[in-house]
Amino acid sequence: MKRLALEAAVFGRSTYLQYVALFQWANPQGYVAYKVLLPVTQILFFVELGVYATGPQNALYFALGNALQLTANAGIFGVIATVANERQYGTLPILLASPANRMVTFLSRAIVNVIDGIATVVVGLAIVVVLFGLNLQHANLLLLAICVVVISLTTAGLGLMFGSIGLVMRDAIIIANIVYYLLLIVCGINFPVSRLPGAVQVLSFALPLTRGVQAARDAAAGASLGQVSGLLAGELLVGLSWALAGYLLFRLLENWARRGGLQEAY
Amino acid sequence: MSRPGAASSHVVYGVLGGGLIGYWSVAYLDGGNGIQEERWNGTLEQIFATPTRLWVILLGKITGGLLFGLLAFLPTAAIAYLGFHAVLPNLDPGRFAISLGILTFSFFCIALTLTPLFALWRWAFSMLNGFELGVYILCGFMFPVAVLAPWAQGVAALLAPTWAVRALYASTLSGGPRDFVVWWLATIGLSLAYLAGAYFLYALVERKARISGQLALA
Repeated sequence: MKRLALEAAVFGRSTYLQYVALFQWANPQGYVAYKVLLPVTQILFFVELGVYATGPQNALYFALGNALQLTANAGIFGVIATVANERQYGTLPILLASPANRMVTFLSRAIVNVIDGIATVVVGLAIVVVLFGLNLQHANLLLLAICVVVISLTTAGLGLMFGSIGLVMRDAIIIANIVYYLLLIVCGINFPVSRLPGAVQVLSFALPLTRGVQAARDAAAGASLGQVSGLLAGELLVGLSWALAGYLLFRLLENWARRGGLQEAY
Repeated sequence: MSRPGAASSHVVYGVLGGGLIGYWSVAYLDGGNGIQEERWNGTLEQIFATPTRLWVILLGKITGGLLFGLLAFLPTAAIAYLGFHAVLPNLDPGRFAISLGILTFSFFCIALTLTPLFALWRWAFSMLNGFELGVYILCGFMFPVAVLAPWAQGVAALLAPTWAVRALYASTLSGGPRDFVVWWLATIGLSLAYLAGAYFLYALVERKARISGQLALA
């Protein structure tokens, strides 16, 4: 019991420090403005582009998809930066020398970003309701909320994986950019996954968001939990798999660095 | 946008739009990102203390970013051609080259104007990064400005790249308005106006930095 409390304290402290490190650029006004500016511009851009290319009948499809995909801003950019910045700012050797439970410190990298991702999607959905008239009268709001939490968790799982890769790269932000825009293309955000070539569809279903966004679209249309439970279970499984792969990679790289005394070159 | 039977303007936006987005992303933020890196690495104060003027230092950062950003057209044009067999059959090379040159000048002026803000505010990067897609919309990178609401078209008219992008696309289409000289002059005029504003902004940033002595914490 005492051991569990100690681990919880490490998790809490680490989460708080991630918050301080991640939002070192922000003050409250700057954060709020950013949280409105990014969703507005991303949703408007893809809706205008989609309407120009396909016609106004699909506007809501683009708007809802992009509002949900916004969680990747925190789950991908935020998590990758949080993990990979340990190397950039020279704190990685200290982290590796710490006796703290690796799983706890690793997972704590994602928590602030999951919360931030949920907040971003909420802002995005509010924009879709106000600007594009999304009618949530018949929506299953509780299920929609569950979907938002699930996709924020699973996207952060993918972020943990690429954050680990970022530990051995000089400029992890490049990975973040590629992954973020890849999710926009292949996860059914701006067009259905069925329109992609077969091989790319395999990739789509191996990534987070694909099932979760579909489940959220169904929930917004009034589906019940039973109707989307398969999608949500698959989404969670995918996210968990990426997070686990990220953790294993993190440990592998740590052992490699320890054996070679390469913490600084890690 | 490049599906068989799509309007030729759709194809042109599909081919050039990705390159414009890539070019803008680098040109717009690279200089500022350089300043942000100086802050996080603890060298921002040295930059301000050196006898070389701030704008001269930024000139190098921005020019490098512009040259690198131009490369964005290569992969997008290659993907458009190889992946979707999309080409620009009505390309007017002379006008296209002039429009691209003037667009580059406008990107350069905007980057030079905005970059000192990164020294003033540590949240400038995230804020301007958030507005990056707003410029895609307002400057007509991927679709014509004419599809926007009238008030948004008014805002777009104040942005120098809007006119250069319009000229760039017009140089690849056979029909439509062809007021190239007007568009080029509008871009150059607005860009010079930004530079005039930048002159005062640089003076303000250098003065504020010395008064507050809090560059790294700003």
